[in-house]
This record gives sequence, C-alpha cells and structure tokens, in this order.
Amino acid sequence: MNIWLLALRNLLRNRRRSLLAGAVVMVGFASFALAGGFMAQSLEGLRDGTIRSGLGHLQFADPRGYEPGADTTLEHGLTDAAEIERILRADPAVLEVLPRIDFVGLVTSGDRSVPFLGTGLDPAPEARSMDLADTLGAGRWLQDREERGVVLGAGLAAALTVEVGDTVTLLATTTDGVLNAVDASVVAVAAIPIKELDDRYLATSLGLAANLLTAGDRVSRFVVVLHDVGDDRPALERLLRALDGHGFEITGKTWEELALFYRQVRMLYMGIFGFMGAVLVVVVLLATANVMLMAATERTREIGTLRALGTRPGRIRKMFVAEGVLLAAAACVAGALASLAVRTLLNHSGIVLPPPPGVTHGVPLHIKLYGVTYLAGGMTMTLTMMLAAYLPARRASRMSIVEALAHV
Amino acid sequence: MSDAYLSMRDPRATDGDHGLIGTFRRGSELIILEGRGLSRTYRLGSVLVSALDNVDVRIERGELLILQGPSGSGKTTLINVLGLLDRADRGEVLLDGQPVSGMNEDERADTRRDRFGFVFQSFNLVPVLTALENVEYPMTLTSLSRTARRKRALETLNRVGLQGKEGVRPDLLSGGERQRVALARAVVNRPRIVFADEPTANLDSRTADGVLDLMAELRDDHDVAFVVATHDPRVASRGRRVVNLRDGRAFGEP
Repeated sequence: MNIWLLALRNLLRNRRRSLLAGAVVMVGFASFALAGGFMAQSLEGLRDGTIRSGLGHLQFADPRGYEPGADTTLEHGLTDAAEIERILRADPAVLEVLPRIDFVGLVTSGDRSVPFLGTGLDPAPEARSMDLADTLGAGRWLQDREERGVVLGAGLAAALTVEVGDTVTLLATTTDGVLNAVDASVVAVAAIPIKELDDRYLATSLGLAANLLTAGDRVSRFVVVLHDVGDDRPALERLLRALDGHGFEITGKTWEELALFYRQVRMLYMGIFGFMGAVLVVVVLLATANVMLMAATERTREIGTLRALGTRPGRIRKMFVAEGVLLAAAACVAGALASLAVRTLLNHSGIVLPPPPGVTHGVPLHIKLYGVTYLAGGMTMTLTMMLAAYLPARRASRMSIVEALAHV
Repeated sequence: MSDAYLSMRDPRATDGDHGLIGTFRRGSELIILEGRGLSRTYRLGSVLVSALDNVDVRIERGELLILQGPSGSGKTTLINVLGLLDRADRGEVLLDGQPVSGMNEDERADTRRDRFGFVFQSFNLVPVLTALENVEYPMTLTSLSRTARRKRALETLNRVGLQGKEGVRPDLLSGGERQRVALARAVVNRPRIVFADEPTANLDSRTADGVLDLMAELRDDHDVAFVVATHDPRVASRGRRVVNLRDGRAFGEP
C-alpha cells in the first residue's frame, strides 16, 4: 500500500473534517495570493510613478554631482553634453535620453520674489516619458527646447499671485558667479503632490536655463529612460563602460538607488505583508493542528496496530505528514482557483483606491497575477500543514503500543 | 509437537535461579523465544499493580502454547512483553537465544515485522484498507515487490477461505471473516510466532471453532508457533501445552 494512497484514503475517511481543514488552508492561501498580488501591484505602481515622476530608469552625472556642496552653478556639470547624449542613445536598451539642468534662484513678479528649485529640460521627450506634462492644472506643457516659458508649482504660483500668461523674471547666478536675469511667461501651473516641492517647483526649457546660467553645452545630469525597467542594472554597466571608453569620467545610478522614498515604502509593505503572512500561518497552523490532532487521537488504536505489525515510528510520522501534504496541495489548488476568481471580480469591480503616497489622483483597484506569491503561498501552506500534521503524529508515534492498542 | 512444559517453576528455586524444570528436555534449537523472570508493574492511579511477577516461559517452533487465566491474570501483558510490544521491568526476553533488551524501537519494529504476527480480540483491521490490502500491509514494510506482495496476499486470503472478499472493506465483513483476515495478515510475512490475544472472544462458538481450526491448519502449514491467550476453557483444551496465569504469576501445567 503506497503511503500516499493510504494518506488519501485516510483524508477521505472523514470528509467533513478534511474539508474543514482544507477550507482553512484554501482561505489562507487565497488571502496570501491576493494580498501578495495587491502588494506587488501597489509597489509596481509606485515604482512606475517614481520613475515617471522625473527620476527615469538611470541617471548619469559627474561623480561629484551626487555630493552636496557645489560652490557655483553647474560646478560639477557635464561638459560636451551632445557627445554624451549621442553615446547614451546608441544603446539599444535606451528609449529616451533627457538632459537636465538643475539650478536655484529667485522668481519675481511685481514686488514679490520667491526662491525656486528649477529644472531646465527638453520638453518633448520629457512629455513622452514623464508624467509631469499630464498633471498640469492649467495651461499647456512647454513646447520646444528653446521656449522662454516656465511651468510653476501651484504653491509657487500662488505665492507669486501669477496665472498662466503672466510674465515672471528669473534671477540666478551664472556659472561665472554673476547674477543674471531673464523674463519668461508662465505657460502652465502644475499640482506637485509633495507640498514642499510644490511651493518651489519651476520647470523651463533647456535653452532658457542655459541662457540664464550661461551654461553653454553643459548640463547637470542625464536621465535615461529604458524600454524595460528590468534592464536597468545591465544597461547601467554597459553605458558606463561606453562612456568610459570615450574618456568621460561619469558615474551612474539606477532609479532604485535614487528612490529613497520607494525603498522606504517597499520596506514598509514587506513588513506589513510579512506580519500578515505570519498571522495567517499561525491561524492556519492552530486550526489545522487541532484537526490533525483529532484525526491522530481517533486513530490511536489503529496506530498501535500498525506499530505492532512492525511499522516504524518514523513511517507513522511520514503517513501523517503525507496527509498534511496532500491536503495542503489540494487546498492550495482550490485556493489558487478561488483567488483567481476573486481577483477577476475585484479587477472588474471599478473600485478606485485613495491616492498612494506621491500621487495626486486615486488609482483603480487592480490585483496583479503575481506568480511568486502563489509559489510562496503554496510552500508556506504546505510547510504549515506538514508541521500541523507532524506534531500530533510525533506524539502518536511515541506513544506506548500497549496504551495505543488499549485506547477506546 | 513438543510436550515439554518449560515454564513451570520449582518452588525450591532461589533468587537468581529461576528454577526451571526440564529446561532442556527438548533440544534448545527448538526454542524460538524465551522469557526469563519477567516482571511488569503498572501504575493505576496511586496504586502499583503487578501484572507479571517473575514469569518464565519458553516457546518452541511450531507449537501451540495456551496462556490461560481469568481477566487481569497477566495473559495480555505476557503476550505484549514476549511480542516486543512492551518492555519488562525486570527479566529478559531472548529471541533465538539472543537478548532483545538492547534493541531500539526501530529494531523492535523490524523484529515484530519479520518474526511475529499478531491477532487481536477486536480484529484491529485498518478500516480504510480492503481485506486484501490489510493482508498485504505487513509486506509493504519489507522489500518484496508489489507483484510478489499481491500474489502472496491473494494466496493467503484464499487459504483462510475468503475468496471473493478481496476488495471488501472490514466494516462489510462479518466478525468471523474479519478474524480470518487478521489471521491471514498475521501469517503472511511468514513469522515464526503468532501471538493471539483472546482471538475468539468476540465470536460466536461456531465461528470461534472455525477460527481455531484455521489457526491449527496455518500452524501446520507454516510451521509457525501460536501463543494464544484465553480465558475460555474450550480454547485452552486445544493446546498441548498450557501455562496458567493468576495475579501475574505462572503456575504449573494443568
């Protein structure tokens, strides 16, 4: 008699009890899979949001550019930007290359002057790759690389009491340390989700920024957008080698290295998911261990008989563990089907969740089909059931045969 | 069949001398299993109950040994100790002249599997297995191939007269049929001794006679010794050798 067939027969012996234990495991598995899918979807959304908020997949800058304490504007900027851009674009994994000039200054309107954090950018590829152009509250996105226009954060626009169409003056220190000023018209007001940034945000064309700062062919950094986020690490290494081969001393970072907020949120999610998983395991363990204990107690005399016939204690334990594995396998399959059904239902329910951190609008509920959670859930539930079966089996296999045979 | 009575105790015996009478009247090569000075005490609440008290017993190849006595006399305890289901507090069990006290649980299990068979009062068949699978079970613990197991199980089941009942679960068998399955299971691994504890207690007299006849036939077929515990004088009358037990002590041949 095959140990698995015997396990199956024993499970079918008391179907109601097996169904009850299986239902507990099934619900545990489905919860695990759904929660994992939701977490994966949320993290993926946050990742994409982080990348599309302006971070890109990769960033390249002078090694000193990542350190604080530059004395003058673009002190650690990248010269010969056109050549660097050409090298970056040559890689097949690269979708867009976005040059950026970071600068600070004062923006003035009438008698009001407010400090700003400015970015000079190439409007067209930025609009294709980043979300900012889609989040404008009023006005339109910048149109070309030389446009004398600015996009202001809503907080900054309010502080200046300006609207779309008004003219403001930008004051900043040039690369030579001289104060310079240019006029620009407000083309749009953007609602930046982080208030501190919203009160200081200013975007303009690369040409206007270069003109204000007298930067020439110099930029602060290059943001690179890839075809596939999964290519970030190999693409970074490849691009750094290419730049190095052309004599550029440039360092690069992946989006994940730069996205401190994303990493913190992910840690938080993992902690929550881990805690929830641990609670699930404990609940499933307690519920199923009780069922398995009942099964072992009911079969005490039978266990005594099997041992009298020469069954080793280890085989008795294996028989019970096999029952746990079979039950877990069946319950996990049922749990997978149930979770797929619930997932389909929820994904088509039209439920909109509140905006996640850093996002201004609510997001539709979508639970991802995340294979890893199914695999991890199956393994976790199987191990839990094995443990739930092992504990009473261990007790039963250690019981005196005489006592077991006398059990009523 | 041996007519030697090997567990009668000499009243003049002293400590350390079990006072066996006629220990070697028959060739010692005939002795399969031997218990020397076996004692077993159980705790019942706060009271210590002596289930066996310095009992000597020997079992020879192919014999039918009857352990007779009233309930609580120590018959089952003696079977349990001799069958390696329990350990004696004092005394020694020798299997083929070798003490078994040093065996661990796995070795004891292997010895039961290979050398002993068991028949219980309540049949103790595995309810989820068919009659054939119940008979086959002890062989699944050995290295026999599935085909060989199945063939031998079928033969043994036929031998006990249960042709056509192979696929029937125990709950659909009569008491006599269940005990026949249990007998087939007990002998299928070709053991040297079958221990039967009140094998007919749950059967009517006619069925019981049939089971006892079958046991005698199987004993002859397989040259296997049967040790039968009973309080039924009719069963005891079938034995050539009878050990009487009372209050855990063995007394002379009746």
